Amino acid sequence: MDQAVIIQMVVSGALMGLVYALVAYGFQLTFATSKSINFGQGELVMVSAFFSLTLTDLGLPYYLMIPGGLLFGVIAGLFVERAGVRLALEQKSEGWILMTIIIGLFGFSAAENIWGRDDRPFPTPIPSEPIQLFGISITWLEVSVAVGVFMIMAIIELFKRKTLLGKAFEAVSADRDAAELMGISATRTIMLSYGLSGLVAALAGILISPITTVGPTMASVLVLKAFSVAVVAGLESGFGVVLVGLFLGSLESLTSYYVGSGWREAPGLVLLILSLAIRPTGIFGKAVIRKV
Amino acid sequence: MRKGLLSGLLVGLLATQAYAANSIKLAITGPFSGGSAPMGASMRDGAKLAIAEINAAGGVKVGGTMMKFDIIERDDEAKNERGALIAQELASMSGLAGVIGTVNTGVCMAGDKHLQQKGITKIITPAAGSDSMTQWIKAKVKDLSIFRFAAHDGIQAAMVVEEAINRKYTKVAMLYDATNYGVSGRDDMLEQIKKQGNKLQVVVSEKFNIGDKDMTAQLLRAKNGGAQAVLIWGIGPELAAVANGMAKIGLKVPLIGGWTLSMSNFIDNAGKNGNGTLMPQTFIEEPISPKAKSFIAAYHKAYKVQRIASPVSAAQGYDAVYIFAAAVKQAQTTDTKKIKLALENLQEPVHGVIATWKKPFSAWNPADVTSHEAFRREQAVMGMVKDGKVVFGNDADRKRLIKNATSVAGKK
Repeated sequence: MDQAVIIQMVVSGALMGLVYALVAYGFQLTFATSKSINFGQGELVMVSAFFSLTLTDLGLPYYLMIPGGLLFGVIAGLFVERAGVRLALEQKSEGWILMTIIIGLFGFSAAENIWGRDDRPFPTPIPSEPIQLFGISITWLEVSVAVGVFMIMAIIELFKRKTLLGKAFEAVSADRDAAELMGISATRTIMLSYGLSGLVAALAGILISPITTVGPTMASVLVLKAFSVAVVAGLESGFGVVLVGLFLGSLESLTSYYVGSGWREAPGLVLLILSLAIRPTGIFGKAVIRKV
Repeated sequence: MRKGLLSGLLVGLLATQAYAANSIKLAITGPFSGGSAPMGASMRDGAKLAIAEINAAGGVKVGGTMMKFDIIERDDEAKNERGALIAQELASMSGLAGVIGTVNTGVCMAGDKHLQQKGITKIITPAAGSDSMTQWIKAKVKDLSIFRFAAHDGIQAAMVVEEAINRKYTKVAMLYDATNYGVSGRDDMLEQIKKQGNKLQVVVSEKFNIGDKDMTAQLLRAKNGGAQAVLIWGIGPELAAVANGMAKIGLKVPLIGGWTLSMSNFIDNAGKNGNGTLMPQTFIEEPISPKAKSFIAAYHKAYKVQRIASPVSAAQGYDAVYIFAAAVKQAQTTDTKKIKLALENLQEPVHGVIATWKKPFSAWNPADVTSHEAFRREQAVMGMVKDGKVVFGNDADRKRLIKNATSVAGKK
């Protein structure tokens, strides 16, 4: 079997997998603190990408557009938390599921009306020329995705481990009631997690837009894959999400090369079914013991 | 404030009704928003340009009075169900002379039956899918009021295969999207390869889904199979992903496919990776004849653009209106059924921007779909993407069109 081909397929797939992982990481962040996730995460990615595109169109240079786009993501994340999640959590209801879906749909319609339904190119100073690396082709754009994903995750994980605020975050994730007894405001920590989740979504939008183009439906496939990754990995571990993302991405592209392009989606779904049947908490998940 | 608005509406209503009594009511339908909008809006704008010209010249002389065109615009958003609703509305509209438009084959399939039932004349443009006309053969209709003014997929697939053979290729890869459009395009191409003497070997046949962005697997298979060209059938954004993927893995062979490769969302998203891509076209935005020159200039001026989003759609919309106007003139009535009869037997040639149309349609023959198809192979040319524009792919085509244009001018 041609080794170069296998490596090429694994690398190309893994890079797509990293994007799934980044979106799934956004789920993981909010799930850790609040046991809730934003079902409109895909729309958040899309709206942030459109917003960043608008900043670029206004003439902002790339390095200023990124913080602008990320800030928008944070604000959007906080909005989702305040408008859709907070009250539901206070009342211990599952209302956040419907609310986040509704906010997502709202974002989708808004994007269609403000920016139109066309797929648009996203300008970037990063060259799209391929480079040869150990006999495989890879583009700088893809490298930038990988670098961006690892960097943001490393920063957030370091923040969680090294800073006081981060430790509060971890404490709420571990045991919300105990953390509150220690004087940590769970509400604030959940706000923080939604803000971070929005930041991650915005970064995902900015990173992948030059490859996928920007359009209202740009994230709809992505978010489904991210769900698979999140479920298979379990929502407890950030690094688990990355590993599963890489694995799923490579598996997809290998399948589509060796089995046929029509079967591309199959391994992800099989993996999902297997994991739900055998290990519903996810590969890296912990079984939750509930005392009644 | 409210009173003003109400009376304004009332005046507007009365005005249009008074106007409608002595006018030719023509509906223009298509997607004016959404992914297919570059085609729909260009078609509409081309058609409106022709209508503005005709109206400015006083209109069409019918029974001794000059009648102007009155436009009814409907946006189907490229959605089948919207298309069906619009067709129902138009079918029940009184005094409608005809319909021009539709970009999406699915919309034709969903809506045209309502128009056909009431015998309302429709000229489909620029939808190219074979099904929108062959459905009438399958349904065995005896009398058809639907015409098509677009180079249908059969012609396009023939040209794509012909181009690959002319370039002396022997091995090709075939890529198509998983929609009806992609799959039927693949079947058309395979049939043409057989018809044209089995000179092409299809080394790989790969599909992709709407929304796919990573085409590495399909393209690597094409590369390892030794493909000398990629024949492709799909829609804008995914086509761009293919062009970008080819650049990435260093597959430096031409991309040849359906006319959707001229859509702005392919050209813009593929950027320089789109250069050299070949596709059949019915109109190239290049002032090769006085007629083309004045059309392009008028379009740019009227809609304040530097480039027509879809030149093919614009030119087809423009010519379709002139053909329709000629039929009204010949029928001497705005009765849609008589206009249909006139269209099937147009006496005077129509000087359009694409070609001079001599008897573009004939009476419906339930065994031959081309009786209601205006385009033949000779009205289509091979276009090529070059630096964000579509230019002539073969110089021979360009020369042929210039020659045709001058010979027509000479005859006049």
